[in-house]
Amino acid sequence: MVAAWKTAGLTYNKYLAIAARVVRRSLKDQPRLAAERRGQMELKFAKWENGKQGDMKQLSTQGQ
Amino acid sequence: MNTLRAVSRLAIRARPARSFVRTYADAAGPADKIRLSLTLPHQTIYKASDVVQVNIPAESGDMGILANHVPSIEQLRPGLMEIIEEGAGGSKQFFLSGGFAVVQPDSQLSVNAVEAYPIEDFSAEAIRAQLAEANKVASGSGSEQDIAEAKIEIEVLEALQAAMK
Repeated sequence: MVAAWKTAGLTYNKYLAIAARVVRRSLKDQPRLAAERRGQMELKFAKWENGKQGDMKQLSTQGQ
Repeated sequence: MNTLRAVSRLAIRARPARSFVRTYADAAGPADKIRLSLTLPHQTIYKASDVVQVNIPAESGDMGILANHVPSIEQLRPGLMEIIEEGAGGSKQFFLSGGFAVVQPDSQLSVNAVEAYPIEDFSAEAIRAQLAEANKVASGSGSEQDIAEAKIEIEVLEALQAAMK
């Protein structure tokens, strides 16, 4: 049996991230606030060409 | 290398050969206990603690693990893990968001999950609200990916609801 998320093109990593996010959101207020801070991450990148930094691009944040 | 071999040969002659065979049982704890490690990326909940039994929500079905279990690797679905400790400690219940459990031949069990919280840390209200929201998205007209995400959320939330009863 192939899981539904796999047929939709999600990776196992993504599946785990979604499951973890929903678990964090289901907590009572106090542990939830602590956990959600931990789940936040962001990544931005820029391409360097000829010694110059290109446009800074933001990758969409996860786990918010 | 040759010297090493010579030395070890001498050593074997000096003592009964058996003392050099280090079996799994030597490293393990009491024979009737399973040594549990429950680790998350950000926290270690159990570190090689001897417990009596561990029930895990494997993808292939719930399973109880006692000492001397067959070595295996199990993928875990979001669900309730129960740890039965000796004595007054009784049993503890954690909800895992999914991960892996590895049973090693020497009665060691390593459980890795992304999130694990005691079941009493969850709010029934938050679960209900999210479940309603996820159901709306899953039956809505969003993209295939949105629907797939909502279905994962429903799976987790329903498991949570069942675990809290």
